[in-house]
Amino acid sequence: MNGLFSYYEGDSFLHRRNPTLKLLSLSVIVLAVTMAFDPWTPLVFFILTLLAHRVLGRVPLRSLARPLTVFFTLGALGFVSSNALFYAPPAGRAVTVLWENGPLRVTAEGLQVGVSLTIRMMAIVMCSMAFVTTTDPTDFILSLIQHARFPFRLGYGVMVAYRFLPLWRSELEIIRAAHRVRGIGERTTLKGRWEQLRRYAVPLLASAIRKSERVATAMDSKAFGALPKRTYYRRLDIDWIDWAMLGGTILATALILFVLARTGLLSGYGIVPQE
Amino acid sequence: MSSRIEVHNLSVRYPRALRSALQDVSFTVTRGEMLLLLGPSGSGKSTLGLCLSGLIPASIPARVEGRILMDGRDASVMSVAQRSSEIGMVFQDPEAQFCMLTVQDEVAFGLENLAVPRSEMDARIAQALGMVGLSDRPGERVDRLSRGQKQRLALASALARRPSVLFLDEPTANLDPNARYEFFQLLGALRRDEPDLTIIIVEHILDDLIDTVDRVLLLRPGGLLHAVGKPGEVFDRQGEELDRMGIWLPQVTALGRRVRLAGLPLSRLPITVEQATSEFDSLLIHRSLPAHGHSSDTGTSSTEKASAAISVRNLSFGYRPDREVLHDVSLEVPSGSFFALMGPNGSGKTSLASHFAEILTPTPAHVYVLGDDITTLTTAEITERVGYVFQNPEHQFVEQRVDDELLYSLRLRGRPEEEMEAIGDELLDSFGLTPYRTRNPFSLSQGEKRRLSVATMLSVGQRILVLDEPTFGQDRHTAHALMTHLQALHRDGVTVFIITHDMQLVADYAQSVAVLVSGRVRYVGPVPALFDDRTLLDEASLRELSFHRLARSLQVSYADGSAPMSIREWLPFFGLAQEEQTRP
Repeated sequence: MNGLFSYYEGDSFLHRRNPTLKLLSLSVIVLAVTMAFDPWTPLVFFILTLLAHRVLGRVPLRSLARPLTVFFTLGALGFVSSNALFYAPPAGRAVTVLWENGPLRVTAEGLQVGVSLTIRMMAIVMCSMAFVTTTDPTDFILSLIQHARFPFRLGYGVMVAYRFLPLWRSELEIIRAAHRVRGIGERTTLKGRWEQLRRYAVPLLASAIRKSERVATAMDSKAFGALPKRTYYRRLDIDWIDWAMLGGTILATALILFVLARTGLLSGYGIVPQE
Repeated sequence: MSSRIEVHNLSVRYPRALRSALQDVSFTVTRGEMLLLLGPSGSGKSTLGLCLSGLIPASIPARVEGRILMDGRDASVMSVAQRSSEIGMVFQDPEAQFCMLTVQDEVAFGLENLAVPRSEMDARIAQALGMVGLSDRPGERVDRLSRGQKQRLALASALARRPSVLFLDEPTANLDPNARYEFFQLLGALRRDEPDLTIIIVEHILDDLIDTVDRVLLLRPGGLLHAVGKPGEVFDRQGEELDRMGIWLPQVTALGRRVRLAGLPLSRLPITVEQATSEFDSLLIHRSLPAHGHSSDTGTSSTEKASAAISVRNLSFGYRPDREVLHDVSLEVPSGSFFALMGPNGSGKTSLASHFAEILTPTPAHVYVLGDDITTLTTAEITERVGYVFQNPEHQFVEQRVDDELLYSLRLRGRPEEEMEAIGDELLDSFGLTPYRTRNPFSLSQGEKRRLSVATMLSVGQRILVLDEPTFGQDRHTAHALMTHLQALHRDGVTVFIITHDMQLVADYAQSVAVLVSGRVRYVGPVPALFDDRTLLDEASLRELSFHRLARSLQVSYADGSAPMSIREWLPFFGLAQEEQTRP
């Protein structure tokens, strides 16, 4: 699979951690980053997560390169340019104008907001990557079912859907080729694209519905959900290292925030005074 | 012997259906028996399985009358879990019966649902995988298995639950000949090792299966029980009915029927090659005949080289630069020929054919269509020369009515309305689609969809037709109807190029055959020479026809050493006249 987010098979500290606790630990970092408004806090967390992922997850950098580039480009184009141009300062606050031409003007404050938004997004993307690349999807769902009281019927449904994703992608490729053979070029106009979507969707849905009915029958034939309780072949454990990872992450996050606050780099959180 | 399953007056009707799927069906199955269900599509074979397993009405709503007893217990009072642990199901579609990602997880899934203790699982999984020959890859991802391995995994998942009955619903319909043979061998071994296991199986291609079957149950359209009995007896007494319903007999049985109809004294209708050998031995007039009139000798030799419909020269191709799918392939498809491409799954057949219709684009000077380098032709020119029929007809449908679908390519080209109407009517008529002209293509039956997809590929007067596994997953009736159409087109001079695994189809219709193994051409030439080469057949994951084994054991052959491959070719050896049509 060549999606932006995909599991990287391997064995490492992060790969061995319990998925639910790994998710919680990373959520702590995401929370810390979301609440900070300055560019420095997300930058520090971005770099530290990247390093931790590299050292503890042993995932090659190139599997991160594509998603990070995509989101960086999106951020740079979207957040930076829109904020640089359209930043509305709080009432009574002076802005530094860097460049002006008619109705367009670029302000230093706007630029700063755009940059910190981009870095914040990058830090969150980095946390997601750290999770996705080191977590077997099946283990993740099983752990949610076994440790987070996630309903197992729904969990297995998600698992089946996940299994079918690559199948549907290759089927879409075949449909596109089949339509090309009928002499249909790919459309570029808005109306043409809409038409095209309908043409692709009908055979894809027909096959998806048929396949999912078949899988459902196959699952029912194996008594899925027939008994109120089921046993598990793969039991995922939570050991003290998992808890230590969560505790360690909370402590480290608090420490980093404290240091950043003391050096005056941190802003946001409502409680830390702005300048 | 105790009755394992008793079915009393079973009737089933699906909601909103006009007719019943099963009507008043009664039969018994004894412990350890293997029962083969036969019947045309729509005769309720799958419905019967769904009823036995309790999926009807528990998961699939339907009105059910009558009683099913299992070991004397009324099945309707058993819980879903009890029912499903009694009956293991294997379905037709290898892609749509798994819900886990790895082999061992999939086998475990069925155990988890029955709340089998974790401590027992390892042993049961290992045992089940051992029974189907998948012991060496418990951790393998399901999507990396071949289709044959997937069906064996489905069997293992069922066996791990220790059912007393197995219901197999066309388990080999999507497998290549070798994988089908291996699956049937596995069932044979299973019957020897587990004498108490009752097996009920729905199948179409019976040659390698029939000698392990104890009894046959024949259903008629509308879900009526037509006959039950030993295979030989049912084939003997119901021969005409079986022909009418389009049910495919084992080759030697079909030959036996034909010989008997011609008036020869055949005491017993053979069902296996061994029986046929002893039955036919005294009836044969000739053991050797001069070189036969096989179709490969006619037509091709004079036109060969003179003009090639498709010519491939030193084509190499890979979806990724480091993994080549085709290696230096060269191939000439003579104009007006009926050409078959065979080879194991994943050998590059579809990739090769994709180059003929610009689905994949070669670099210049590798692929020529009617003499022109395909890279110099426009898309419109290519689609006017080559019609390409995909494996799944639905993939090609772009319109919402059958007649619009047929005329789509003509409309794109802005042809005049009267001309389009004439072509449309003609195609509807010749493909038997006139009654469906206003229907939505997606609402047609499998056979009708296939015919429509072929018809659409002829609308602008294509002279070359490429078909990717046109008979895959279809019953014999629709497959035969399609092939008759293709043969008619071929007589009109259309070059027909098919990718297929079906040996009998190639034997009956194709003039030349090419074999692709691991992206290399291993054979190009007439059909008989390939079918006599057992090493090559093995390499190509093909199985020799029953007729070949029969010819060998009876020491029957043409002067050139090749064997007769169809009923039509066998008749002269019995001193009977050949007729034009092979099958009614």
